[in-house]
Amino acid sequence: MMPGLAFVAAAAFLVFLLSLSARDDNGEDLPAASMRNQNRLGVTDALRPAELVLRIFSPKDREFIRLTRSPRLQRLYREERRRVALHWVRLMSREMSTIMRRHRLNSRHSQNVNVAAEAKLFGQYMELRFLCAGLVFLIQLFGPHALVDLASYAGELRGRLGKSMLDATASNHVAASGDVVAR
Amino acid sequence: MFYAGKSIVMLSVMIWSVGVVLEILLLIRGFQEKLYRQFPIFYLYLLFVMVNDVVSMGVYRRAANYYFQVYWVTQFLSLAIGSGIIFEIYRVALRSFPGAARMTRCVLLIVFGAIFANALTIPWDGVFRWLAAATITLERNLRIVQALAILTLALLFSWYAIPFGKNLKGILFGYSLFVGLSIVQFTIWRYSQEQVKPFWSYAQPVCYLLVMGVWIRALWFAVPLPKTIPDPQIENDYELLIATTRDQFRRTLARLGWAARA
Repeated sequence: MMPGLAFVAAAAFLVFLLSLSARDDNGEDLPAASMRNQNRLGVTDALRPAELVLRIFSPKDREFIRLTRSPRLQRLYREERRRVALHWVRLMSREMSTIMRRHRLNSRHSQNVNVAAEAKLFGQYMELRFLCAGLVFLIQLFGPHALVDLASYAGELRGRLGKSMLDATASNHVAASGDVVAR
Repeated sequence: MFYAGKSIVMLSVMIWSVGVVLEILLLIRGFQEKLYRQFPIFYLYLLFVMVNDVVSMGVYRRAANYYFQVYWVTQFLSLAIGSGIIFEIYRVALRSFPGAARMTRCVLLIVFGAIFANALTIPWDGVFRWLAAATITLERNLRIVQALAILTLALLFSWYAIPFGKNLKGILFGYSLFVGLSIVQFTIWRYSQEQVKPFWSYAQPVCYLLVMGVWIRALWFAVPLPKTIPDPQIENDYELLIATTRDQFRRTLARLGWAARA
């Protein structure tokens, strides 16, 4: 009974995550029609440059706003940046859907479809979709700099752990050498 | 009491007769519109059900003792022909889509393999007990297998955006409704026999009338399947298509990576 319930709960959570990544800021579904209207073979080349991504997720602006010491400005910044970050991730998610849709529409006609390759591609697609869904979840919960904050926290934790381990090793050495001297 | 019993029989015969009339109507329209050429198994099924209804009605009125034997034998025959409808839906819908057809065959094979493997996990004496169990349970289980096949087909049709004509959509929707309602009925019958028994003889034909309504609406006129023109370049170079999609995924992943490295 319990494994069955856990399976259903996990499935429901995954569906929830996916639905999160497919909605815009107002909670409305991203227009599927816009995807349908795209040229079937046209490649969406309007890619966001690396600088834009780095700027959206970089904590530099946050540090700058922090210097103003204005809580209102900081709140405004958090809200706006969160929206921008969510918009970008959802754009990525939509772009992946478009890529996959184009692939499906073309592969359905092909005489020599490779089942294994299709399954692998589907796996990659789902992996990317869940990655986007996870990002949306993190951004909504902890803000746009969640990844950076998490990474810096992990780094800090690792540093602290390393330091304490070094301290412990050093004190062990001291204790051991003290024993030798006492003998 | 006598009158109440008589009116119940009258109602049951009336529902039955309406069903037969609708089946005849559907068969006539199928022949007029030449839909039987496109969906031969479906019309064979309809013909079988119509003949079965007439014969069963005769047995019910003249030799009621044999009714249940006749009912269950014909029910299994209709189940077997009904499975043919699922095959027909697959055949007609995916005729112009060899790639999607190949994937569908493979996924269906996996689904049936999983069902078979699940059946193997039942101990052998359990299988015999399962087979010997109430016919209702057996039919419900077979209907569940049909429902899984329909669900798999529907998901794959939606995934590959297979265009349906009005006729095929109606057959698929009607038969899915029929299978779904059958599962619900058999499940209710299994778990609350005594309470449900009085309604059993009405629930099934009334649900069937609903399905007939769906089919009549969808199959009154023949509507040709929408045609799609494949891109010959992509059709010939599947490897290129796979490589392009993979490359696009890789680029998207790289962009997501920038977000993490920011």
